Amino acid sequence: MKRYTQVLLAVVLVCFLMVTGACTKKAVKKDAGLGEETAGEGMNKPGEEGLEEARSGGPQWNDPTPEMAAYFKDISFEYDRVTLSPEAKESLNKLGEWLLKNTSVQVLVEGHCDERGTAEYNLALGERRAHAAKQYLVQLGVNADRISTLSYGKERPIDPGHTEAAWSKNRRDHFLYR
Amino acid sequence: MKRSALICILFAAIMLITLPGSALAKVYLDILSPFATRLPIAVPAFKNTGSQPDTENIAAKMATVIRQDLDLSGFFRVLDASAVSSDPASSGTTLDTIKWDSWTIIGAEALVTGGISVNGSELVAELRLFDAVQRQSIVGKRYFGRAEDARLIAHKFSNEIFKSLAGEQSVFETRIAFEKRSQGTKEISIMDFDGAHAETITEMNSICLSPAWSPDGKKIAFTSYTDGNPDLYIKDLASGKTERVSHKKGINITPAWSPDGRRIALTLSLKNGNSEIYALDVATRDLERLTDDPANDVSPTWSPAGDAIAFVSSRSGSPQIFMLELAGKKVRRITFEGSYNTSPDWSPKGNKIVYAGQQGGTFNIFVINTDGTLFQQLTHNQGRNEDPAWSPDGRYITFSSNRSGKNEIYIMRSDGTGQKKISGGAGEKNNPAWSPFLK
Repeated sequence: MKRYTQVLLAVVLVCFLMVTGACTKKAVKKDAGLGEETAGEGMNKPGEEGLEEARSGGPQWNDPTPEMAAYFKDISFEYDRVTLSPEAKESLNKLGEWLLKNTSVQVLVEGHCDERGTAEYNLALGERRAHAAKQYLVQLGVNADRISTLSYGKERPIDPGHTEAAWSKNRRDHFLYR
Repeated sequence: MKRSALICILFAAIMLITLPGSALAKVYLDILSPFATRLPIAVPAFKNTGSQPDTENIAAKMATVIRQDLDLSGFFRVLDASAVSSDPASSGTTLDTIKWDSWTIIGAEALVTGGISVNGSELVAELRLFDAVQRQSIVGKRYFGRAEDARLIAHKFSNEIFKSLAGEQSVFETRIAFEKRSQGTKEISIMDFDGAHAETITEMNSICLSPAWSPDGKKIAFTSYTDGNPDLYIKDLASGKTERVSHKKGINITPAWSPDGRRIALTLSLKNGNSEIYALDVATRDLERLTDDPANDVSPTWSPAGDAIAFVSSRSGSPQIFMLELAGKKVRRITFEGSYNTSPDWSPKGNKIVYAGQQGGTFNIFVINTDGTLFQQLTHNQGRNEDPAWSPDGRYITFSSNRSGKNEIYIMRSDGTGQKKISGGAGEKNNPAWSPFLK
């Protein structure tokens, strides 16, 4: 019993130090729960899946510069589908090639949906769309650690219209970098 | 049976005294065959029993609130009392002073009277319910509060009326949480079940989604992008403290509290963007995986016994509602009508699931028994209707609809009648969640 107490105390102390460390490093961030992220990770871990991969949070993601724009092009999807079209693969081939040359750049794939489906279901769909691009880039040889995904579902349409033209623009993967 | 006259019960800041009168054991409302027959009830304008002249406004507002509550409930036919009692100051409010004939002539079987006095900011309300046929008192209460509590006191007496006549409490003191969009962000708001007292409870300056009440009504779980990822947070309503409880890479969305409040079912996408449903232990943060399928699984809702969840899965191609028995991990599909069915909510009585189904380019609200029988459509030809959720007594359903031109929150009876917009003001509103009984 006493030993457990000692172990517990040690764990608490380590967690506290990690929390303090994390807070000093990222003092700019306003989120009070930040320390808990570091301290809690081990406890949350279900132990089966690649948690070491980058979360989409952290430093700011940027829109591609004009020079990068030719490689960071949105790819589009069919309604309620996650399959990559031949055009989408073509765009990803260019992006993959560029990423293999520019190895210090990390990329964020945002998955988006049109307004027609249900908001919650679209969040799951958007995550899958982002992963479809990620998996393709990984197959091209890009390190998975460099690619984060973020689903916005239908929360951030690029075109607020209610026409097929607008919907088609909104069913997309959008690419950012840092 | 005579009730003790001087029992003071403290409800928040409002003091309450039960007035002398005979509480009858008679059951006036048959709650087992809901909305079948309606009790004719009159709620004339309440009387200003004090000296402050502006009390009339408050008295009128309180009577209006009670009329709206009773009408909405679906168990009453609220009679037009204005013909009988154009001057509330002259009409009686107590057993001895009420002019009974004028009420029986319009067919009133029940009568609500009120005497309101305001002194400075203090309000005293004497509210009474009578059997207008037997000419007997059923229940009477004296409330002491502040003038701004007038609506709340009126709702409390509506609940008292319902309890006296039906033997069960109703939703008149419950609240509804929802997403409200403004200037590129979405925050979580709460309002009374009739749309009053709307307030924004989050300040995440971000997209906040899917509010879910804890079973004790003290906390709300929701998803927010405030840290750059859709993570799960819990807001404690009393302390105002917000805590992040799940922040896995990928989505941390669609929370649903287990009936005992110890776990939250949620959707995570831990592997290859494939969303699965997990149960998060709120205290220990341990995760248990509940679904396992290469298709998307999302939007869980617990059975009232906590032994099963219903959820959305695209495992049959398009999204449909499925049920998972937690003990044997047996999964069965519930919806077969239509090709896109989402947003399930399990009724508190346990045998029905309400959901949104796509129908000819729009969405409507449907109810189905958990065994897949008795499929019923509740909304028709009135815009896009989504995000249905049960009231805690299972008699009403809240949902969002764009029928007015933009997304607002509505309520209706569980048979689809009495559809009513309750939210207003700026901003699109979505995803309402009805609170449990708040005490």
